[in-house]
Amino acid sequence: MNPYGWMLFLFSWGLILGLTIFCFVKVFARKEL
Amino acid sequence: MPKGKARDSWGSKLGIIMAVAGSAIGLGNFLRFPAKVASNGGGAFMIPYFISLLLLGIPLMWIEWTLGRYGGGFEHGTAPGIFHSLWKKNRFIKYFGVIGIFGPLVIFIYYTYIESWTLGYSFFEIAGKCRTLADQASMSSFLRGFQGLEQNRYFTNLWPAYFFFLITFCANIWVIYYGIKGGIERLCRWAMPLLFFFGLILLLRVVTLGTPDPARPDWNISRGFGFFWNPDFSALRSAKVWLEAAGQIFFTLSVGIGVILTYASYLSKGDDVVLSGLTASSTNEVAEVVLGGSIVIPAAFVFFGPVDIQSIARSGVFNLGFVTMPLVLNKMPLAWLFGFFWFFLLFLAGITSSISLAQPAVAFLEDEFDISRKKAVAIFAVVSFILCQPAVFLLGKGVVDELDFWGGTFFLVLFATIETILFAWVFGMEKAWDEIHKGADMRVPGVYKYIIKYVTPLFLFFILGMWLWQEWLPIIFMKTVSAGNRMCVFGTRLGLVLLLAVLAVLVKIAWRRRKAQLENIR
Repeated sequence: MNPYGWMLFLFSWGLILGLTIFCFVKVFARKEL
Repeated sequence: MPKGKARDSWGSKLGIIMAVAGSAIGLGNFLRFPAKVASNGGGAFMIPYFISLLLLGIPLMWIEWTLGRYGGGFEHGTAPGIFHSLWKKNRFIKYFGVIGIFGPLVIFIYYTYIESWTLGYSFFEIAGKCRTLADQASMSSFLRGFQGLEQNRYFTNLWPAYFFFLITFCANIWVIYYGIKGGIERLCRWAMPLLFFFGLILLLRVVTLGTPDPARPDWNISRGFGFFWNPDFSALRSAKVWLEAAGQIFFTLSVGIGVILTYASYLSKGDDVVLSGLTASSTNEVAEVVLGGSIVIPAAFVFFGPVDIQSIARSGVFNLGFVTMPLVLNKMPLAWLFGFFWFFLLFLAGITSSISLAQPAVAFLEDEFDISRKKAVAIFAVVSFILCQPAVFLLGKGVVDELDFWGGTFFLVLFATIETILFAWVFGMEKAWDEIHKGADMRVPGVYKYIIKYVTPLFLFFILGMWLWQEWLPIIFMKTVSAGNRMCVFGTRLGLVLLLAVLAVLVKIAWRRRKAQLENIR
């Protein structure tokens, strides 16, 4: 994989996994699940 | 809905997130997405993909969750009633809502059959029925024999496929029979974690493939990921790549179909839609980009090399899933186990989507005709079973492609455009903004007020116009249909027009009944 490929891979995975973790942390922090 | 009975509801907030994510995660996440990326600029495709997600996918998802919950407050679980609640003065708007029942029903007709192939192949992998097949030609022949498109040494008739179709169809009916909480939510709560577990196992297997053939050191997993992610930025100059990315976002999130409206209608007035909607969408993206992007194409590269992978990526979704992937799995140790994981993962992705496609029609009968759930499911089962038969027996005659074009593409974009205009312009953006935030666990960034009002409708008009001009006109005028298939395709169109007309008449009858009931009360 070339450097641009790595950048796009890390950006895509980072954005999606980051958003998902953020959302689930907030969901599990609710009083009611 | 029978008088005195409360509408069905979700058992938990996590339940609806799992159900909407299950509806969105389908075969397209694991087959369509990787094929689109590989043939539209590799990693560069992710730039228009994310732009479309932010400007089209996420706004539409919030619109549908909000509209669904709003309509549910008036005891309407489908688009005719929801649209009417939004624009009470307009007598005709409820008829546009018919698309929100028609679309999912049409997709259900062919999707259930394709879903049943994944169940059949799960069984074949365990039984070792296609283990000895080692090339594309014999695996294609196996698939065509199974689909009943030819008689060969693997299959002499359609009955094995029909057997798996019956099991799949009954499983779908069984789940929706038990309702929102007892059927759909219960299935999704175990099916979704299991799907991610299988996906993770397959991802780890693909990542650890290394260089299986030392004689071909270039055929390795690092280069496989490179083929998928290395960008060709020149592709971004093509309007087609931007349209493909917008289309992928549209289809992957299950927006514009009508199923999110129905699922969200079972929420209570004070339930959050902002965080729940975003969580369901991001879960779908994990399945698509993280799992879908890391399994088929990198694994196929390792076993077929840099030359053949080009044609494999363009060979179509069915070829990728049912021909290339079994061949790849056959070359691995424990082929039967990983083969089962792959096809059962697709089956779980399929069934969590197909039950959501069945729900709008069932909800329409329950809500608008005061029919009990059991009766509504029975009517749906009989009607949809009859409607499924052309998709099963006339697969090679262009019927499925025709159903997919109208139910799964054309009306989808049209429906999304109508609901966006209704939400942002008829209902009014100020009122809509307040409605989105009722009971919200987080605030939507202020910029989305303008995106939902201006950018998303313009984006939708643009893709509607471009697709109509570039791709749809030849399909509408049957220029892409072979002469031998014309009668079947024309018959399918007549059937679809009839189905639309029947649904419109049912809406008229339902509203007349409701009006008469109200007058009796007065």
